[in-house]
Amino acid sequence: MITTTKPAPRVAARAGTAPRARRPLRTWLVAGAAYLIAVIFLLPYLEMLVMAGRPNNELGRATIFPSHFTFSNFTTLWSGGGLGGSIGTSLQIAAGATVIVLLVALPAAYCTARHRFRGRTAFLLLVLTTQMFQPAAMLVGIQREFINFGLPPTLSLIIVNAGFNLAFAVWILNAFFSSIPVELEEASMVDGLGRVGALTRITLPLAAPGIVTALIFTFISAWNEFLVALTLSLGESPTQQPLTVAINNYIGQYSVDWGHLFAAGLVATVPVIILFAFIERRVVSGLTAGAVK
Amino acid sequence: MNKKYPRRLSGAALAAAAALALAACSSGSGSSSGGGSGTTTLKLVVADYGTGPGNASSKYWDGIVTAFQSAHPDIKVNVTSIAWTNFDQQVQTMIQNKQYPDITEGDYFSNYAQDGLLYSASDVLSNPGNLLPGFKNQGTFNGTQYGMPFTTSSRTLFYNKKLFTQAGISSAPQTWADVQADAAKIKALGDVGFGLPLGAEEAQAESLLWMLGAGGGYTTDGKYTINSPANLEAFTFLKGLVAAGDTEPNPGTVNRTDLWQQFAQGKVGMINGSPALIPIIQKAGVLQSSDWTSVPIAGKSGPLTVTLGVCDNVAAFKPNGHQAQIKEFLDFAYQDKYQLQFDKEYDLLPATTSATKALSSDPVFAPFLTALPNSVQYPSDTSWANIKTKIQQTIGTAVTGSPATELGQLQQIASASAS
Amino acid sequence: MPAALRRLNLVRLAPLLWLGPAIALIGVVVLWPVVVMVQSSFQQIGGEGFVAGYNGTKNYAHLFNEPDFVSVLLRTLVWVVVVVAVTVFISLGLAQLFHQQFPGRRVARWALIVPWAASVMMTALIFKWALDPNVGVINVILHHLGVVKQLGSNRADWLGNPTSALAWMMGVAIFVSLPFTTYAILSGLQGIPRDVYEAASIDGATSWKSYLGVTLPLLRPAILVATLINVINVFNSFPIIWEMTRGGPGYETATSTIYMVELKQGDVGQSASMSVINFLLVIVIVLVYLSTTRWKEQVDQ
Repeated sequence: MITTTKPAPRVAARAGTAPRARRPLRTWLVAGAAYLIAVIFLLPYLEMLVMAGRPNNELGRATIFPSHFTFSNFTTLWSGGGLGGSIGTSLQIAAGATVIVLLVALPAAYCTARHRFRGRTAFLLLVLTTQMFQPAAMLVGIQREFINFGLPPTLSLIIVNAGFNLAFAVWILNAFFSSIPVELEEASMVDGLGRVGALTRITLPLAAPGIVTALIFTFISAWNEFLVALTLSLGESPTQQPLTVAINNYIGQYSVDWGHLFAAGLVATVPVIILFAFIERRVVSGLTAGAVK
Repeated sequence: MNKKYPRRLSGAALAAAAALALAACSSGSGSSSGGGSGTTTLKLVVADYGTGPGNASSKYWDGIVTAFQSAHPDIKVNVTSIAWTNFDQQVQTMIQNKQYPDITEGDYFSNYAQDGLLYSASDVLSNPGNLLPGFKNQGTFNGTQYGMPFTTSSRTLFYNKKLFTQAGISSAPQTWADVQADAAKIKALGDVGFGLPLGAEEAQAESLLWMLGAGGGYTTDGKYTINSPANLEAFTFLKGLVAAGDTEPNPGTVNRTDLWQQFAQGKVGMINGSPALIPIIQKAGVLQSSDWTSVPIAGKSGPLTVTLGVCDNVAAFKPNGHQAQIKEFLDFAYQDKYQLQFDKEYDLLPATTSATKALSSDPVFAPFLTALPNSVQYPSDTSWANIKTKIQQTIGTAVTGSPATELGQLQQIASASAS
Repeated sequence: MPAALRRLNLVRLAPLLWLGPAIALIGVVVLWPVVVMVQSSFQQIGGEGFVAGYNGTKNYAHLFNEPDFVSVLLRTLVWVVVVVAVTVFISLGLAQLFHQQFPGRRVARWALIVPWAASVMMTALIFKWALDPNVGVINVILHHLGVVKQLGSNRADWLGNPTSALAWMMGVAIFVSLPFTTYAILSGLQGIPRDVYEAASIDGATSWKSYLGVTLPLLRPAILVATLINVINVFNSFPIIWEMTRGGPGYETATSTIYMVELKQGDVGQSASMSVINFLLVIVIVLVYLSTTRWKEQVDQ
């Protein structure tokens, strides 16, 4: 509550009267600006909500608000021609990728955090540099490689998404494991827990925030992935395609039923936003770890 | 810090995710053609001719498939329907991924035949002679017919009589000069004078209509002449039309589907259309049947006597080895009753001689049918696939930039790949 | 037990067990495609995906001769530089603002992350619809304000004209990049101890001077990382341009990633060579940026 001499070039202190009155005024100005910006950031998604409730026959009308809010766009999601089936496929891919990432990243990060072995720096460097690789950049390579594997597209997408999110997971888990003092584990081993016991009873719970972060980040990243999904899943029927692809194919049909599309978008986006709210702070520190501190 | 909560969350999430992953693995393998118990599954990929979910093409095909599957219990058919603007790209990607369909209905490229991917028409049809002979050429590669016409249509000029009367125009446009004058008058009313769709969805069709108007075309005597003087003339005229604001803005980014909708809403004066535009107008409910009509397409000095005959093809793919089953299905699907059903549903024209005969007495269809034999078609060589893509993507810039440069570049590509 | 095992050389290999799956997954999914990509760029592969043989450097020659190649590359550079620069600039201000204490700060901060969590494709689609010349909400509002005289006119067709389309798409790209960058800088700000500021103000520095002289240099690591990650993301940004204009008209709003995907339809080999160039370009940009900011001091652990 103490806004002292923090430099704030964006919000110049108004020529206030007494020092006491200046503080609340400035705080409210700052708050006002922040609220305004928050609203601006939310505007497009509020618009999506408005559109999702727009009745079909008003799609051609140039009005800002629909005459009334209708749920029909949501109810048709799971009927024929709806986008609901794709939500299930996206769920499979995102969940599958998340499981694989956790299973693979946990041991790797733990080993890296606890042991100073030869090649550790090399491994960390590998992880760091692969964070910079984007699936879109290597589309042709991925496509040609996975054709030869002959896997069903959903499985291919699970593997691809897992691979590209692995680096971040290892990075953040490594940071978390490193911050847990070895003494805690050793103390519990002295108390009679085996090594595995120490791991599961002491280390993992303490690292839980990092695990949850990696989990949710991978999930969201796989859920929203577009280009590789578009390339690999085209041979499937629409309900077997992830949501991003299904929505893309929905555009260009007839004249787009934006109401239905945004209803599907809402169903896809809102849970993700809520999930993300849990982890945003750690994601940033995870991505900038090692550089900021 | 609530330590237990995240742990339970992680645990539950892990369990759920593992279950889902297992489900993904098992369901993923079941979707391809599993021939374990004697059932073959055919993968049918079709283009969507519908104007809304109500008459989506998947409905038409689902009807045929249901009837077919009850007559042939050992063959299952999976239908995937794709919007026209994505059709080429997605089928191409499927083929790149080795996720071969069994049958496609939409566009077809002789490249597939060249790569040995297709069955010939006689391999998969009992009576290939029933297919309209006029379109045999464009489905032929190396002397064998691979592309089987499924539906055809011809193009005419539609105009909004109501807007014409409002603008004080009393007669239908017949020449380019008419088009220009009429469009300017309609623009003064605040509507779009001439709807010119040069967007990626079907730019090759609209362009060809104007090229024909000047006596040009994509090829001359079998060789590509995209930047011929006649074609340049056509695009220079169009550029003038666009610059004067007589068309919708930025035609290179507008697709036929959107403009047809706008015409149906009464906001466009003139547009090149096919019979398929008629149900769209009727569904929009804005124009009465007396408010619009269709006439031959306007050419430089008079109406066109040849028209663009568009033909969508069925192609049968070899790699899955389902020749017998494909034959059963195609024989079934090509029956007259289904051809006529498709034509009545989408106001398009049939592709078999027998169906054409059955339809020739219908007053709505008869005039279009008589024009068909005289129609110009797209090129059918193996380089057309690549050129068509480039035309769709870039020809719109010829009316906002320099026609000579754009058409010249397209011609370069054509000469390079045709050699 | 541990002491005895340690003497065996097997222990040296133990990390491999723990790291093995990770290395394998990264190798297969992230590294091997690079090899395949480079290999494909030297092969003749048509649009159907069949390898017709070795093609030497013809794919590259063909690519460089494409009429749109140079403009696509230039546009990509402009795209990356403008989007990243503007994003970082605005984020510095936003972070400063949200670093202040005020009531409801948590809620306001939460709103900031929404564009980051929502898929970029969905955001792009919202804007595409909102810019529809006839019914889009942005045009409707502008129409009421008198900026757009007539709906459906050229003025309202923001996405049809390459220049205005690029401007809007850059806006969207900046919009979706702001959350992460702001948060990165915020966490950097939070790491700056208070006494630094107090020392500066005792020395008589004005708030602007202390910002430039104290805050910014201390923020350097955060800005560095944020810029790097942004450059890589923005360079490969696909959904925005794909959904809003498909790179059209022609290729006039296409960046290298879009161009690569368009090329893939007709000639996979050529598309692969575009990918390789794309890849090298990112590496070059990143290296240039790193060398100008002396990164090693910051990242050494």
